[in-house]
Amino acid sequence: MDSALLPHGVKRCSPWAFFFWTLPWLGLLAWGGLSAFLCLWKGLNQTNMSNVFAFALWIVFDLAVIALGAGAFFTGFLTYIINKKELRNIINTAVIIGFICYSGAMAMLGIDIGQPIRGWFIFWHANIHSMLVEVSFCITCYLMVLAIEFLPIILENRKLEEIKELRLFGHNLHEIMAVFAATGTFLSFFHQGSLGGMFGVMYARPFAAREGFYIWPWTFFLFVLSAIACGPLFTILCTKLAELLTRKKLVPDSAIQALAKISAWLLSFYIVLKIFDYLGWIYGVVPRAGLTFESFFREGPYGVWMVVCEIIFCGILPAVILITPQGRKNQGWLILAALLTCIGIVLNRFLFIIVTLAIPVMPFERFWSYLPTWQEWGVGLAVVGYGFLVFSLAYRYLPVFPKEKELNPAPES
Amino acid sequence: MKLTRRNFIASVVGGAVGIQITPLPWKFTDDVAIWTQNWPWVPVPPSGEFSEVSSVCTLCPGGCGISVRKVEERAVKIEGRTDYPVNPGGICPLGMGGLQLLYDESLRFTGPMKRVGMRGSGEFQRITWREALDIAGARIAALRKEGRPEAVAAVDGNGEGTTASLLIQRLMQAVGSPNYVRPASLSDTYRMGNILMQGRDAPIAYDLENSDLIVSFGCGLLEGWGAPGRVLNAWGMWHEGNPAKRKVKIVQVESRASNTASKADYWVAAKPGTEGALALGLAHVIIRSGRYDAGFLAEHAFGFDDWQSRDGVVHTGFKTLVLKNYAPEQVSRITGVRPDAIVKLAGMFMDAKSPIAIYGKGKNELNGSLYEFMAVQSLNALAGRINRVGGVLLPDPLPLNPLPHFECDEIAAKGLEKPRLDRAGTKAYPFSHSLIHKFAEAINGSRKSPIDTLLVFSANPAFTLPDGGAFETALKKIPFVISFSPYRDETANMADLILPDCVYLEKVDDIIWPVGLQYPLYGLSKPVVDPIYDTRNCGDTIINLSKAIGKSVGAAFPWKHFTDVLKERAKGLYDAGGGLVRFNPAAPPWVAKGAGSKTGFKSFDDMWKKLEAGGMWYRPAEQQRDWSWLFKTPSGKFEFYSQRIEQAIRSGSTKEMRITVQGDEACMAHYEAPAQDPDRTAYPLTLFPYEMINLASGWIPSPPFLYKTIFDTQLLKDTSFAAIHPGTAGQYGLKQGDLVSVESPAGAVKVRVDLFEGAMPGRVYMPLGFGHTGYDEFLKGKGANPNAIVRAGEDPVSGYPVWWTTPVKLVKA
Amino acid sequence: MKKENDNGKPRHRYGMVIDLDKCTGCGTCMIACAAENNVSVRPDQSDKERAITWMRLYKITNGKEFPDTEVSYFPRPCMHCDHHPPCVSVCVATATKLDFNTGIVSQIYTRCIGCRYCQAACPYGARYFNWWDAYFPKDKGLDRYLSPEVSPRMRGVVEKCTFCHHRLMRAKEQAYAEGRREIEEHEYQTACTEACPVQAITFGDLNNPDHKVSKLVKHPFTFRLLERLGTEPKVYYYSSRDWVRKLGDNFLPGEYKPVLHKTWMQEEWSTKPGRDTY
Repeated sequence: MDSALLPHGVKRCSPWAFFFWTLPWLGLLAWGGLSAFLCLWKGLNQTNMSNVFAFALWIVFDLAVIALGAGAFFTGFLTYIINKKELRNIINTAVIIGFICYSGAMAMLGIDIGQPIRGWFIFWHANIHSMLVEVSFCITCYLMVLAIEFLPIILENRKLEEIKELRLFGHNLHEIMAVFAATGTFLSFFHQGSLGGMFGVMYARPFAAREGFYIWPWTFFLFVLSAIACGPLFTILCTKLAELLTRKKLVPDSAIQALAKISAWLLSFYIVLKIFDYLGWIYGVVPRAGLTFESFFREGPYGVWMVVCEIIFCGILPAVILITPQGRKNQGWLILAALLTCIGIVLNRFLFIIVTLAIPVMPFERFWSYLPTWQEWGVGLAVVGYGFLVFSLAYRYLPVFPKEKELNPAPES
Repeated sequence: MKLTRRNFIASVVGGAVGIQITPLPWKFTDDVAIWTQNWPWVPVPPSGEFSEVSSVCTLCPGGCGISVRKVEERAVKIEGRTDYPVNPGGICPLGMGGLQLLYDESLRFTGPMKRVGMRGSGEFQRITWREALDIAGARIAALRKEGRPEAVAAVDGNGEGTTASLLIQRLMQAVGSPNYVRPASLSDTYRMGNILMQGRDAPIAYDLENSDLIVSFGCGLLEGWGAPGRVLNAWGMWHEGNPAKRKVKIVQVESRASNTASKADYWVAAKPGTEGALALGLAHVIIRSGRYDAGFLAEHAFGFDDWQSRDGVVHTGFKTLVLKNYAPEQVSRITGVRPDAIVKLAGMFMDAKSPIAIYGKGKNELNGSLYEFMAVQSLNALAGRINRVGGVLLPDPLPLNPLPHFECDEIAAKGLEKPRLDRAGTKAYPFSHSLIHKFAEAINGSRKSPIDTLLVFSANPAFTLPDGGAFETALKKIPFVISFSPYRDETANMADLILPDCVYLEKVDDIIWPVGLQYPLYGLSKPVVDPIYDTRNCGDTIINLSKAIGKSVGAAFPWKHFTDVLKERAKGLYDAGGGLVRFNPAAPPWVAKGAGSKTGFKSFDDMWKKLEAGGMWYRPAEQQRDWSWLFKTPSGKFEFYSQRIEQAIRSGSTKEMRITVQGDEACMAHYEAPAQDPDRTAYPLTLFPYEMINLASGWIPSPPFLYKTIFDTQLLKDTSFAAIHPGTAGQYGLKQGDLVSVESPAGAVKVRVDLFEGAMPGRVYMPLGFGHTGYDEFLKGKGANPNAIVRAGEDPVSGYPVWWTTPVKLVKA
Repeated sequence: MKKENDNGKPRHRYGMVIDLDKCTGCGTCMIACAAENNVSVRPDQSDKERAITWMRLYKITNGKEFPDTEVSYFPRPCMHCDHHPPCVSVCVATATKLDFNTGIVSQIYTRCIGCRYCQAACPYGARYFNWWDAYFPKDKGLDRYLSPEVSPRMRGVVEKCTFCHHRLMRAKEQAYAEGRREIEEHEYQTACTEACPVQAITFGDLNNPDHKVSKLVKHPFTFRLLERLGTEPKVYYYSSRDWVRKLGDNFLPGEYKPVLHKTWMQEEWSTKPGRDTY
């Protein structure tokens, strides 16, 4: 039916099978659409957010997704600026995942703010001192960059390529991709950092507050580092998932290994710094506020175990696995380590958002707990559905994996 | 050009791109943002000319001065008046939220109504005033024609002695029914105690501002006792300046760490209902040490030492009684207060320059116990704190003119001879004017309601009475109920006819001597806004109703308007001479000779004009009045031993009056353990309903604003909390927030548990004011009303309900 | 501290001292605030996470066993932090600002986009988001008491205590009309200050040595909430009770030092033994 649209020389499932595959994701999108409509129409009272949990599930999703989507800019940086040739085989995947993550995050933010129609005031009445302004500027610009980076991939579609102008346009875009990669790197570096800065600068919230360098709290650098460490690993994870689902090899091992190795070193570096950060915080910021490390974990479900998980099981452990060649070359260990790293980063973001807000600062204020409503889950999971859908479509109709044909030669019929 | 698919797509895409470079999208983006800033459903308060109207708050008998800010015809904010003697500056939370009572339409009746739905459903139909008055008038006239005017009854919640209250009493007299009942309040306990010990039918006057030690036996000083504006203002004064050099100390006797107990300098946690015993314990220590005011006792007191009556019988004196029964150890066993604490507190009382012992039970809305009041007053007398600066003053009542005499017609005269349904004033209750719970009991106890038509004025007995729901049951039996309430309260919802009063800000009304004030004050409120609905001042309605009943009843009301009655009464103030109608904050009325004597008005009309404008007539406190003729008791002295009680016992019996002790003790302050309850084993805990200043528990609904101040350990969603000591809760395996059923022999209510260290073990503390079934979504169905499960015994002599000792048990829900 | 503004006049720093010994926890300040500032009341106010209370009472207890238990209250308006208010620098749309001439932290409702970053940054919980449209149902008529001096807020924006800024405007207008450039202490008082029936709140210009507040803040019993975080609140508290002062900030064991050492009312019989030594 749609065979004319499929890339040359690769095998794709039947349109019906594809349709059924998309159903659950469409379902998630519908759920999210209804939730979003309710939130926009009736207001944020549809959520369980409150004056205590001013940031909640959505912001956790946002930060997680943006960190995980960092594979795009960092792989781009390695591919086009450092010129690591083998990564050309995975850059498309990285870009698409980045695009999905960032556009999903933007959409969620649009629902999260109380006055979405006034969202542009961020740019019009920008407060340059606000880390969130920097985040907004960079994310918006970077999303455009991602769109531009995504465009040539779309233009490589068989049918679109038949149009000469588009083909030429796409080709030329390819040629200057290094410029966009550089722009993207610059933008991403700052917004990833500013996302961390957002929390580090909350100096009146001792759980999040950090000292730092000039105007940047340590979280600024830690967020950049953690993002570029886990972003590529998330790209690897997505590739592996695609390979698993398609029962095909899609990316040569050289690309995967190159990425994994770089991530391994970055992750190791990050985890060392993060441990120092924790120590500096425990012995600096916290006692200065009259508190102790344990005093943060006295009530509620959040405990020291979260920090232990973040540092040891989702930090040191995957770093060790990835840094040893035997570890990262083993398919199973590689996936486990990537998974743990991603969980660790999400946990880190969760701590900065939810736990920061749940712990009262005033001694007489009580501890509050929070559970998201179905509307919040709907919007959050819609991003997951959206991601699966866009990636599936891209895989089906675009030559996302340049080596797919090579790695999966068509059987002689 | 031919329209091909390609062309079409190209033009659409081109158009879309092209529009981006026009101002259109940007204009649109801007416009929708502006739209969010002017959403049509966000109210825009109209502006206009600002003005301030001074008036008096009549939400409680405290009578604070208020200033209302208006924008054109709309009242937009209430503030306290700095030029008013009761509350120079602040007001209480209830008064602060008053505008919601005025403007919340679903809280109010917008005009006269008749019932169309089931009783209690709150479904009414608008009728005209003419129709409403005709229905009510015809009904009462018919009863009179049948010769049973006594089947008409009135419940009156207006302040004692207010003009509205006098008109209601007059109406009942003119109709010919003795069944005029009032909900018992603390003022009734005061009045009765004053008559028995001092022979004076005058309000209580505590000179708090001049005292240096205030021992409060149960007064919720910070919970709304007395005139809240005055007490809170005094509280601020007492705490002014360097805490180390503070001159005034406050001791609170209460079983719970209430705001007053917490904020007082000392908290003495006596069991509820044993405050009198504690006062007698202090008396014991003082007598022992000999540091009592011998001069006062010798000159102006009766029954302190043992005495011999004319018939030669030797009577026990107060001294002997107290020395025998109220040693610190004995009192400690009763009250639970440590003996050394009693001794120390007595020492403080003796050491203070001008101590005062004051008696109360929370706010003023519920009654106290007569013997407890007598015990506290005896303590004052012992220390010579009566008719002294900073003590208990003995002023005369306000010199208001009485209403002119009128002749009852024959029907009325016959009706008035019939006995009161509540038996107040009989041998069993010789000093009580009305006993509303006995009234309800009498109706509930008869097969057919002896009352045919009930008029309810400024009261919500179905909710506010601590009677375990007895009045509500009675309401169901009464064939016809007429409510004059402006609010859709529980009692009004049971009514068949509504003749709605105006809300306080729309009407002229008077305040007679705010509770506890040490100087005479007459407050006059004026309409701040014109009535916003078709409602009428109840005073006018009564006059109109009297005419609708018939000529002879109407003849008792020779006035056109309520204001004429007010003016006629106020003439007495002028005729008495003196008095001030303006307040100078520099010369507060409690400072001796501070306020000066220049009245500031020339004629009665001049005075009335200024009284209307300023809302007050007062006379600076008369400290230390001439002792002669001060006490109007049989002995002409302050009576530790009340000869009036003695006479009452002689003509009746102690048993009838529910006094458990015999002989001389019964005529003096003493402690009586509440009658042992047979179900005590089944109901091991005791319920104590408590009052809060930020929740209305009387007939006035709480303005919704108040709910902002309620903690979520007091009300969570629709469930209120009972404060219980963690130890007591532990015995039942209860944790914070657990749902429990509090069960008494009278019923059960569902609440959540609030573990509170400041609660006395073995007690269950439930706030009063929650659990409404009337009003609107702000108040309806929120929390539980402890009144619904109160099972009260009767206070000896007075017969008022002992609402503070209901036996209860907790059942985990 | 005394800086000058562009006109060469000394800047004002409006602040507040709340006497917790006097405060009785009656809640009048909260109601006065809500009534003055057109804060709407929703049918369920027990949802303290979402109810709007610019001025909010916190109840504290000394944690002692019966009958030594004691209750006290912290009325908490916006602190109007003087140094780098945590909420101001984070606001994306410059919708909140620390006014240099008055020291008041303002909020522009029509510019706020409702991102709530300021709420996350404020440790005092002084900022409130409009989760719902203001509750003034048409047929109830509650909108009739709304004051035209304060604009009602729309859903989706953050609001907070403004130190009744409109009252400052009112006082200034009055002064200008009378040909004065400066206003008197009594002319500008917040609604909560005026309403407090025990006069527990004192309001004035901290930069003006004649104002009562600038004298009160020097008292050793005066402290601020979470002072060690460095937000420099302009709302001060005053209490003679050590346990109350101790709850004003977080302290490591042994860090808290009682203020003075003169025994007062330490009598062994009292149910509040040694409540305070100073």
